[in-house]
Amino acid sequence: MAYLATHDYLEDKSFVDKWLYTMRTGEMDLSWMNAKTEKIKPRPQNARRGLTYRDLDVGSYGFTEVPEKVRDNRSYAPRGAEIPAGVPDAQPWVSRKSESWAFNTESYYEEAVSRQWNATTDIPWEHLEGVELPEATGKALSQLMTFLTEVEMIATDTPAMWLPRLSPDFIEVRAFIASQAMDEARHAEVFRKRALTTGYGLMAASPMNEMALKHLRDADSFSEMSVALHLVAEGNVLTMFRFSEYLSPTDVDKRIFRLVMQDEARHVGYGMQHFKYVLENFPEKREVLHAHLDEAENISFAGAAATEVTESFIILAGGGMKKEQIDAGIKVTTQFNLKQMSEHFERLEKCGMPERKDRSKLYQMFLMGKAAAEAQGIKI
Amino acid sequence: MAFYADKDYSEDQEVLGMMNEVMAGNLGLRWYNANTEKIKGKPSNPERGLTYQDLDIGTYGYTDIPEYVRTSQSMVARGSDKSIGKLPDMGYVVNRKSDVWSDNVTELYEESKARRWAPATDIPWGALGEKPVAEPLEAACAQLYTFLQECQLVSLDFPSRWVALINQDFIEQKSFMCAQMLDASRLLEVFRKRALYGGAGMKRASVSAEQCLKEWLWAETYPQGSVSINLALAGLLLNIYRQVAAFAPTTTDRALLGYAMQDSGRWVSYGTGCLRYHLEHQPGQRVSMHEYLDESEHAMLGIIGSPELLEPLIIISGGGFEKDQIKAGRDSVSRFIKLAVQEYFERLDYAGLEGRAHRSRIPHVLERIQVA
Repeated sequence: MAYLATHDYLEDKSFVDKWLYTMRTGEMDLSWMNAKTEKIKPRPQNARRGLTYRDLDVGSYGFTEVPEKVRDNRSYAPRGAEIPAGVPDAQPWVSRKSESWAFNTESYYEEAVSRQWNATTDIPWEHLEGVELPEATGKALSQLMTFLTEVEMIATDTPAMWLPRLSPDFIEVRAFIASQAMDEARHAEVFRKRALTTGYGLMAASPMNEMALKHLRDADSFSEMSVALHLVAEGNVLTMFRFSEYLSPTDVDKRIFRLVMQDEARHVGYGMQHFKYVLENFPEKREVLHAHLDEAENISFAGAAATEVTESFIILAGGGMKKEQIDAGIKVTTQFNLKQMSEHFERLEKCGMPERKDRSKLYQMFLMGKAAAEAQGIKI
Repeated sequence: MAFYADKDYSEDQEVLGMMNEVMAGNLGLRWYNANTEKIKGKPSNPERGLTYQDLDIGTYGYTDIPEYVRTSQSMVARGSDKSIGKLPDMGYVVNRKSDVWSDNVTELYEESKARRWAPATDIPWGALGEKPVAEPLEAACAQLYTFLQECQLVSLDFPSRWVALINQDFIEQKSFMCAQMLDASRLLEVFRKRALYGGAGMKRASVSAEQCLKEWLWAETYPQGSVSINLALAGLLLNIYRQVAAFAPTTTDRALLGYAMQDSGRWVSYGTGCLRYHLEHQPGQRVSMHEYLDESEHAMLGIIGSPELLEPLIIISGGGFEKDQIKAGRDSVSRFIKLAVQEYFERLDYAGLEGRAHRSRIPHVLERIQVA
C-alpha cells in the first residue's frame, strides 16, 4: 500500500457509531453549515457564452486572488472551501502561481471544451473511397503521419504527468492541461487513422526526433517543461501543420490539419502567456529558462536533421520524386525550416526574451540558412 | 535535467552532413521501404465514421497486442518499423496488457468523444436563478457539490498519474485515460459552478473522505488503483448522482447530474472491464486483489459516512429540514447506501471477483443501519 488513511474507518468505532446514530435518529452535526466561506452570486456576463470560469473570478473563489505562494491548501479541497485540520497532503510539486499561471488560462480551457471535435466523425473519411495516391506521395504522407503520431504521444504524456503535481488551487491550469491531454490523444488518433487509410500503413519511426523529444518529459520544473513543450515543440509542430495543410494531397488531409491547428494554436497560446507570466513574476527563472532552451532547441536541430521526416516533406511539397519535383520540394522545405525558426524567435521576443537571439545556436543557424536561401532566391 | 539527448545535434558533423545532403537533393530514403504491413482501413459503417475498431487489423490492431510488450519502450506508433535507429527508453512500468486492458475500452473512448458537452453552455444556469432554492436546502447543495469537487480532483489525478507510465502500445487505452482527464475536469468545473451560482458559496472539505480518497488514489499498482477509482469510487459517485438527480431541487441540478451519470458510467464500465480482463489473464492475482480490498475497502465507508456527504444527502433526499423531511431523507439514504454497496459487490462479481460480499467487512456494518 502506498498511502494509508489515518484511520481504518471500518474499525473506527466513534466514526461508525456517529454515522449509525445520524441514520437512526436524524440528529446531525451540521457544522459544515457554518463554514466560514464567502457567499457570492456569480452570473454569466454574456448569456451566449454561458457561465464561464471568468464569471467565477470573484473574491476568495477567483483565480485573480490566488497568492503567488500557495501555503494554505495542499489538500484536495476546492479553492475557497473551508479546510479543516486533518485533510491529507496531496503532495503538489508546483505551489507557486507564476510557475504555472498564464493570462487567459481560463479562456483557453473554455475554448478547448467548446471546440472538442471527433476524429471519428468530423473528418470526411468517406471521401477517401477510391482515392489512390501515387506511391511516392502516398508513402511520404504515411511517413509524415507516422512521425506526427510519435510526436503526439509525448505531447500527451508530458502535460498529463505534470497535472497531479500542480497545486489543487490552480484549478484552471489543471483543467487546461487535462484538455490538452485530450487534444493530443485525438491528434495521435487522427494521424494514426490517416496513416492506416493511405494503403501504405505506418512507416518508419524517427529515432533522432524521439531521442530529442524525450527531453520534454524530464524537465526540472513545470515552466521548463512548458517552454520546451508548448513553445519549442508545439511551436514547431504548429508551423509544420500549417505547411502540411498547404501540401495536403486531399481535402481529407486539409480538414485534419485545420482541426489540429486550431488545438495546437491554443497550446502555443497558453505556452506564450505562461512564459510571459513567469518572466514577469519570477525573474530569477530567466537564466534557468535560457539554460533549458539551450537544450530544448536541440529538438529543432534534430527535427531538421531527421531525414525520414525531411525527405517525406520534400516529396510531398514537390509532389513526387522526379528531380524537378525534388528541387521544388526543397525550396518549400527550406521556407518551412526557416519559418519554423523565425516564428520561434518571434514568440520568445513577444514573451519578453528578445536576448535569446544573442545566445542561441539555433538563431545562428537560422541566420546562415536565411542567407543561403536568399542567395538561391528563396524568401520566407 | 534528468535526460540529455544522445547528441548535441547542433555540434554533430555527421548529423549536419546528412541534413546538408538531403537539402542538396540527395535523398537517402531509408524509410521508403519500411517493413510494415500495407493496409487501407475504411469505416465499416459510414454513419459511425472511422473508429478504432475499424483499424483493428493485423499488426496495427489491438487484438494482437501481446500480453507482454517486450520490444517497444519508446514513443513509436504500434505497427511502425522500429529498425532504422536507436530509440529512447521511455521508462514505462506498465507493460502487461492485462494490467490495463478492457475489451470495451475502444468503444468507451469513441463514446467519450461522441458525447462531449460543455458546462458553460449546455447547462440551463438561468433556471437556477429564476427559481432559487430555499436557503437550508441550497446550503446542503453547496456542501454536496463541495464534496463532489474533492472527488473529481482525485479522479482527475488518477489517469494523470499513470498515463505516462503505461506502454505506448496501449494507445487506445491511454487515449481513454486522456478522455477521463477531460471528463473529471469538466465535472469539477460544473460542480464548482453550481456550488457558487446557488449563492451559498463553497462549504467544508471532508477530512475522512479526503483521507480515503488519497488511499485509493495512491494505490501501489494500476490494477488496484483502477478498482478503487474506476470501479469503487466512480460506481459510488454514479449512485450518488442517481440519488441526487431523483430528488434534485432544480432542473439545473437534474441536467448537470444527467451529464455526470453519463460520464461516470463510462468509468465504471471500464473499471469493471479492466478488472475482468486482469483476472481472466492473471488468475493468480485474485488472491492479492481480495487482500488489497480487505485492507482498502474501509475507504468506501469512510466516504459514505463522511458527515460532509451524508448530511446534505439526507437533507436533499428528504427535500428539506423539517422532521418528517429528515425522516424521509434517512429512509431514502439508507436504501441508497445499501443499493450502492450491493451494486459495488455485483460489479466485482461480474468482473470475476466472486464472493466479495461474503468476505468484506462492509456488510457487517451495514446490517446495523436503523432508521427510527
